Formats: sequence, structure tokens, C-alpha cells
Amino acid sequence: MSAKEKIERILNNIDRVMIGKRDIAELSLTALLAGGHTLLEDVPGVGKTMMVKALAKSIGADFKRIQFTPDLLPSDVLGVSIYNPEEMEFEFRPGPIMGNIVLADEINRTSPKTQSALLEGMEESSITVDGETMPIPQPFFVMATQNPIEYEGTYPLPEAQLDRFLFKLEMGYPTASEEIEVLRRAEKEVPLDHLETVISIEELIVLQDAVKDVAVDDIVKAYIVNCANETRMHQSIHLGVSPRGSLALMRACQAYALLKGRSYVTPDDVQYLMPFVFGHRITLHPGASYEGITVEEIIESILLKVEVPVDKVPLHE
Amino acid sequence: MKKKRMQKRFLIFMYVLAFVLLREWLLPVMELTDTGHMDLLLGFVIIAFGFSLFGVTPFISIPVKLLYIAWAVHYIYLDVVWFTLRTATILFQNLASNFTLIVQGDWENITDPFRTVLFFILLWMTTYLIRHWVETKKSIFLFYMTTVLYVTLLDTFTPYSANGSIFTIMLTGLSLLGLLTIMRIYGQDGTRFTLRDLLSVAAPLFLLVMVSGVIANLLPEKDPVWPDPVPYLKTFVGGTLDEGDERGVAKSGYGPDDSRLGGPFLEDDTLVFEAVVEKKQYWKVETKNTYTTKGWEQVSVGNTPYEFYRPRMVMDGGDSQPGVERGPVGTAKLKMVEKFPFLVYPYGMTKAITDQNVTILHLSESGQYRTTVGEEEAFLDFYELEYVDHSYSLQALRATRMESYNLSGENFDEYLQLPEELPTRIGELAETITASSESVYDKAKAIERYFASNGFAYDQQNVAVPGEDEDYVDQFLFETKRGYCDNFSTSMVVMLRTLDIPARWAKGFAPGDTVNYADGEQIYQVTNKEAHSWVEAYMPGIGWMPFEPTIGFNGPADIDYDLEMKADDPEIPEMPKKERDRLEQKKAEGEKKEAWTLNVTKAFETVGQSIRENKMILFILFALLALVSGGLYAIRKKWMPKVIISMSRSKIDDWETYANRYRILLKQLDRSGLERESGETLNAYAARVDGHFGSDRMKQLTAVYEEGLYGGNKTGHDWARLQKMWEDFMNGTTD
Repeated sequence: MSAKEKIERILNNIDRVMIGKRDIAELSLTALLAGGHTLLEDVPGVGKTMMVKALAKSIGADFKRIQFTPDLLPSDVLGVSIYNPEEMEFEFRPGPIMGNIVLADEINRTSPKTQSALLEGMEESSITVDGETMPIPQPFFVMATQNPIEYEGTYPLPEAQLDRFLFKLEMGYPTASEEIEVLRRAEKEVPLDHLETVISIEELIVLQDAVKDVAVDDIVKAYIVNCANETRMHQSIHLGVSPRGSLALMRACQAYALLKGRSYVTPDDVQYLMPFVFGHRITLHPGASYEGITVEEIIESILLKVEVPVDKVPLHE
Repeated sequence: MKKKRMQKRFLIFMYVLAFVLLREWLLPVMELTDTGHMDLLLGFVIIAFGFSLFGVTPFISIPVKLLYIAWAVHYIYLDVVWFTLRTATILFQNLASNFTLIVQGDWENITDPFRTVLFFILLWMTTYLIRHWVETKKSIFLFYMTTVLYVTLLDTFTPYSANGSIFTIMLTGLSLLGLLTIMRIYGQDGTRFTLRDLLSVAAPLFLLVMVSGVIANLLPEKDPVWPDPVPYLKTFVGGTLDEGDERGVAKSGYGPDDSRLGGPFLEDDTLVFEAVVEKKQYWKVETKNTYTTKGWEQVSVGNTPYEFYRPRMVMDGGDSQPGVERGPVGTAKLKMVEKFPFLVYPYGMTKAITDQNVTILHLSESGQYRTTVGEEEAFLDFYELEYVDHSYSLQALRATRMESYNLSGENFDEYLQLPEELPTRIGELAETITASSESVYDKAKAIERYFASNGFAYDQQNVAVPGEDEDYVDQFLFETKRGYCDNFSTSMVVMLRTLDIPARWAKGFAPGDTVNYADGEQIYQVTNKEAHSWVEAYMPGIGWMPFEPTIGFNGPADIDYDLEMKADDPEIPEMPKKERDRLEQKKAEGEKKEAWTLNVTKAFETVGQSIRENKMILFILFALLALVSGGLYAIRKKWMPKVIISMSRSKIDDWETYANRYRILLKQLDRSGLERESGETLNAYAARVDGHFGSDRMKQLTAVYEEGLYGGNKTGHDWARLQKMWEDFMNGTTD
């Protein structure tokens, strides 16, 4: 079974429970394959949890869920050491972060301290409790959700920490016909219960390794860098995309190319993924936000402006 | 239904305009060819237009037209109004006889009635085309353009004068163009419109056409700025100039009337006389003194002075002149074939010897030696002439000065005569040419040499005749620059006279061709085509001296190079070879390098001169080239793919070739108006292109290209299939 077929099976599996969200499923899987994490920003009830659960179930991964509340403590995320009287020693009880696929629900409702604990774990793929560092089992994929910023009683994630997420996605409401289909399927039973595992965790790790073998030609790298550069020079942007952002975009493109069954990255991949990768890494000038200019519009204008490499000729240096 | 009627009403108008245009095609045919009965032809056009206007079914219209043609031919050739069995049979037999002629390819002998039928059919086709242009295409531009070209070309190259026609064509053509455009725009969305609508839209159009027509008519017409290109074009095509009513093609030969010079010549090989003489001689007959702006006349001042000589008497030509070195006496034996009542004689003649009892009357003004017996003209068959071989001292010639004319006290008025209306630019040109010359001789030589370059060409065919208010010399010097001896000699005489150097126009015969050698003497055969004219100019202190400005002729005057010559002396190229060799031997040392430079300079000069001489041809060639390349560039998206495809067939099938082809395809699509937008990826572009052409070829081609470009996967493709697909696609873009 080729990589493409495996991926296709996962996506089809998710399709059985998620209606009309193929793109989100693809992007989530892309993030998983690239070893990154996803931030879903949307109102509750549009199927975020369902998406993650379906993904976890498809790959037979350990699924954990953390419901963030204002009083949640870092130890509630990472785990605690408890004294075991029989063994006469402290024993570590792992927190919910020690899973393969973690749904961090409403991450912006908890205190920055707890948020940091999660984000650090995402960044390092390990946690440190009582001076002891413990690796998080691989694959490790966090899908965090947050309510849109303007809701009351939230702690918006700082810019620097948003950088930890590979993608920031929005799910959006289903269309009327899609929603009817959702209702129809849930009429008699819970669809998720019947979902089967289609590939093993080991196979997923092989796929993750295959991502690194996807070719990125120098002219495509140059294209990514040129686009990143444009964000740094754009007059409406206060803070552009860091080199880490460029790197993230390249990795995401590789994963996406693999998902599409290609062994190389094309500028189409770059163009498609750029809004999801760069969107949350750009800070607009206050004036620009005031005028109603959105990040999406700016990225679109950059994509129109930067020359697409269609030849081996080196781009402007 | 209403719309249909309206359309018809407009159509009548269109057809009337088209009829006027078509009539302009027939007018020159009537005038230039042996065709008549224009009314019958026009009647046919009216019938044809009428039928298409009312949408008459072909089942009726075709037989009616055929009948009309039959009747018209019948009427034209048999001059009877009604068919009878007899006349119909005659006509039918006549027409039928042509088919064998056609099969045999004997186009010359096709009978006139058949030609007329063919002409009717041509008209028929033309009316059909016009109908197509007016009703279907709603664009008459092609027809309008060809009409303009047709009429202007005829106006330029034939006696047909299209002055009125051009105006009519302009008015009707532009109106028709504009009206059809309006109709086309209206017709696009099928809107109904009334005559009022049309008139209100068309009013500015008519106004513009009228105003521009009136203005064009009122504006003063400027004379052509460029020289008349027609002679050049005609030489180019290789035809001959047809001067039509002005003056036909003349035959070369000696004639007494030179009052109207110009026009083309046919070479006439008729023998005039044979001469046995040791040296090449110019055979002089007479000179003329009065230039009339069109030619030469001999005008006597007071009584014509003359002398009588008997044969064997010493004549005044033998007098010694200062600056002229007398050589040995030579004899020339002439056998006349053509009868002249005068002598043809070499320069330096001293005696005429003949057995016939004639009196030789020397008219000293014109230099003519008439042979008479009593009051009657006498024609000599044989005569012998003695002449003194003489040469002019260059030293003496270089010493001639303009001031000396006044000192001599002689009256040169008749040799300085110029017509009052002579354009001043001739004199200005003469001044320019001679500005750096000091002696009279050098001035004359400068003018003589002027014709050798500066774009002049010897030509007997394409020689213009000056118009009513044109000057013969002016036309030659500044406009045509093409001509034969008369043009060159007359121009030189006139230019000398503008400089106050007395000069006259000499005529006679050129030396002729040597046929064989007999006893060390040479027989020169002089035919009509040797009839020639040259120049005599008066050198102060020396006398009358011949000059030869005509390209391709060596003058009769021998020069004695009794001077130290500088290397750049303009005289050197004209020296006889022997003299030149002697001079070069003297200065042989250390000049090799200089000679080489001279050669190179000369080569450049030759190239430069040929460019100057063929300026018009080069210009036309260049214009044609520019037109053709411009046209090719404009339609490059049509032909370039074909060229590229055939060029690329021979290439090796690999990724590099494929990538090149793909890039060419991108460019070709760009030319076809499907350019890739900024920021558009190849994939997105391919989808758009495929959407346009309704295929998936671009996607397939792009996928392979992207795989190679971004993925580095450059092998394992079916190149032949891809090439086929590429070729098909490239060809598809040209439609």
C-alpha cells in the first residue's frame, strides 16, 4: 500500500463522520504528517472534537482531551507525582498531554501559565516535571481550539506562542444540505462508534518520515523565502513572518505534497498553504486593522505580486 | 416583419453606393481597353443587385442573368435586338469554337464574344462578392481598399486619369464603410431600428465625409516632392516607358531637328557610313547654339557667315592654335551608306578630297560643311578627309582664367544664351561643382566629371520628356538622372553657360565599332546608334575644345600631360594608361601602403556610389522588406508555431527539449492572448488554458514539466507522445 493510498484511506475514513470538511481533514492530516500542531478557531459545535476523534481513531492513536477552564493548573495538563505508600516513593501520574492526539479545547479560556505548559510540551515534544524530563510518545499531535477572541473571559494567546502552531484553521458552518446530512447520519446512531482503525501508529510514523523525502527544489524554496520577505516589507504589516515561519511552510508543503501523492513540492502547494501557515504569524499595523484590512487579503496580494518560478532561472537575489 | 422591410430600405442605399464603386472599376476598362457598351454592363450589375436585394430565388435569378448575358452578347456583336434561330446558332457556334482553343491553351485566339461572356461572368462573381460583403460580413473595407489601389495604380501607370474618380471613390467608399459599421453594431443585439435612428447616427458620418471631401478639394495641391518613381519602377520590372501621346519611342539616328529632346530610344543598327582611319575619331556634323528649355536650335545672329571650299583646298580647321600641339597629318576615308548633304568630319580637318565636282559650303557658326552643286544639295558617296592629329597642352589649359574672356574682346553672347525661365538651381549646382576649380578648363572638367558619379545613369529607355512647364536640363539633373548623350551634353552646356563659360552643343557620330584591320588601318563602322552629341567649350587663348560628359564615352580631345602632376590630381584617372604608367614609375617608391588605403577607400566609394545610384530601388526594397516583416510580425502567432514545430522535430527527445518546447508553448499562448497572470502557478494557468480550449492537454503537458522542474524527475516519459500532443496543441493555438 503506497503512501497515497494510506492517506486516502484515512481521509475517507474521516469523511464517513465529517460531512463537507474534506479540506480541514486534509489540512489536519498534513499538520500531523509534518509533525506540527493545529489551532482551530471557531465557535463551539461545528465538529472540531469530532474531527480530532475521527483522526485519532483512524490511526488507532491514543486520544486525550483537555478541557481548558480558568482554574486549570499546569499539573492538570502535565501530570503530578503522587506518593505511593507501598513502594515508598513518588510515582508520576501522567497528565492528559501524554497522548498521541490531544484535543486542547478552548485553550484561550485558561490562564497563560497553563497555556505555557501545553505550548512548551508541543514545542519540545517532552515535559519536565519535578526536574525530570520525560518524552511525549510519538506521534504527538495537538489540535487546540479557541473561541474567537472577542468572546468574554478569555486569555488571548501571545503572538510568540501562536508560532508553535503549524496551521491556524477555521472550520466554518456546514452548508444547509451538509447539515441535513449530519442530522440524517446521527438520527439512529453515533457514527463515530463505528469508525475503524485504518492504519497503525507505526505506519503513520513511516509516513511522517516520508515527508522529509519530498523534494523541494531551490526555486520553490526561493519562492517561499520571497513570499516571507514580502510580509516583512509590506507596509500594512507590523511584524512579518520569521524564518521559522518559512521553515514551517516548507515542511507543511512537503507533507501536503505527500498527501497529494507527489514526491515534490510545487508552487501550488505553497500558495494553497500560505494563508494557514502565515496567517497567524503576521501582526498587522494597528492602522491597517482599523481600516479593516485583513491578513488574508494581504497574503492574497502578496501571492499575486511575487513571481511564480516557472523556469530554472534564479530569482532576484 | 417590420424589421425586414427596414433592412431592405437601408440595403437599397448600400447597394447604390456599392454600384457607384463598382462603376469606377468599369470606367478605366472602357477607357483603356477596346471595350464598349458600358450601359449593358451596368445594366447587368443593376439586375444582379436588384435580385439580391429582393432575395429572388436562384432558380429565377440565374436563368435571367444567363439570358441577359446571352442577349447582351447577341446585341453587341450581331447588332440585332431579338433572337432568331439563325443569330442564336451563329453565336452558339462562335462561343463553342472557343472550347477547343481553351483546351489547346491558345488563349490569344479566343473570340471576342467569348471574352465578353467571360467578362460578364467576372462581373457576376464581383456582384456576388459585394453582396456577401454588404449583407453577410457587413464590411466593405477589402473592396474599398482594392478599388483605391486599382484606380490609383491605373492613374499612375497608364494614361487613365482618375482625378474625379478618386474623389467619388473616397466619398462613396467612406460613407459605405461607415454605414455598414453602424449596421453591424445595430445588428449585433438584434435591436429594431428605424430609418430615423439610422439617419441620426449616420448624420455625423456624412457630415465628416462631406467636410473632409470639400476640404480635400479646396486645399491647394502640392507638386510631388519625390522624383517620379515610375521610370525606376518600370526599369525594375523591365518594361519600357510608354509616353503615349507625348512622344513615341524614337529610333536613334541623325536628324536635324533637336527642338524637343527626351524620350526613349530604340537602338537602330542601320549602317550610316564606314571609315578607314588610324585613330578613333569623333565624327562631327554641326553645333547648335540656342537652348530652348526643351531642346536645341541654331539661331543665326544676323547673316550667316560662310566660306566656300573646293575639294583639296586647305580649310581653316588646319590653323594652328596656341596651346594645341600639332601632330602628324592623318587621313580618313569615308564610304557613305546613308546620303547626307554635308560632311561628317573629325576634329582638326584640313582638307576634303573627292572626285565629285562639289562645292563645300562651310557655315562657320554651326560648323557644318554642306556639299552642294550649284544651288542643289549634293550627296557624296566616297570622300577622303585629311586632319591634323592634335593634343591640348595641360599646362596651357590650366592657365585659362575666367577674366581672359573679357580681354579677348570677342563676343560670345550666342554661346552664353540661356532661356529666361531657366531654374536658378542649375546655376547654383554648377557653382557648387566648380567652386574649388580655378582654371576655366578645370571648371569644365569638374562639370564633365560630375555626371560620372552622383547617381546618374546611362539609359536609353526610361528617359523622361519634360512637361509643358518643365526644363529639360532641370528634370534630368534633379529628378530623373537617367538619360543618354543629349541629356548629359545639354546639361553640361547649360551649366557652363550659367558660369559664363561660352559653350555650344555639338552633334555627330561617336567613333563606331572596329570591324577588321586592313593594311594597318582600321575600319570603323558607324551605325545609326552611334548618333551622338557632346559639348564644345571655348577655352580662352586656346579656342573651342570638345568635352564628353556622357557616361561610358571617352572624349575626342587628347591632352598633352606636360605638367608635374600631384597624386590627387583629378585629371589622373582620365589619362591614357601609357601616360599613367610613366607617372607611376616616377613615384613608385614607398607608395605601396598608400595605394592599399586608396584601394580600400575606392571600394567604399564604389559601394557608396552604387547605394546613391540605386537609392530609389533600395528604398523600395527596404520599404517592401519593412512591410513584409511588419506583416509577418503582426500575424506571427499564425505562422511561428509551424516554423517552431518543424524546427524542433529534429531535436533529441529528452527533458531539456521538452522543457524548451513547453516554454515555447507558454510564449505562443501569450501571443494568442492567453497570458499567464502575475502570481498564477503553472497548474492554475493550465486549468484556465484547458478551460479555454476545452481539453486537458495543457494539464498533462504541465504535469510533466512541473515534475521535471520542481521534482527533478526528468526521465521515464513517453517523449514521442508528449511531442505529438505539444505539436497538436501548438497548431491549435493558431486558429
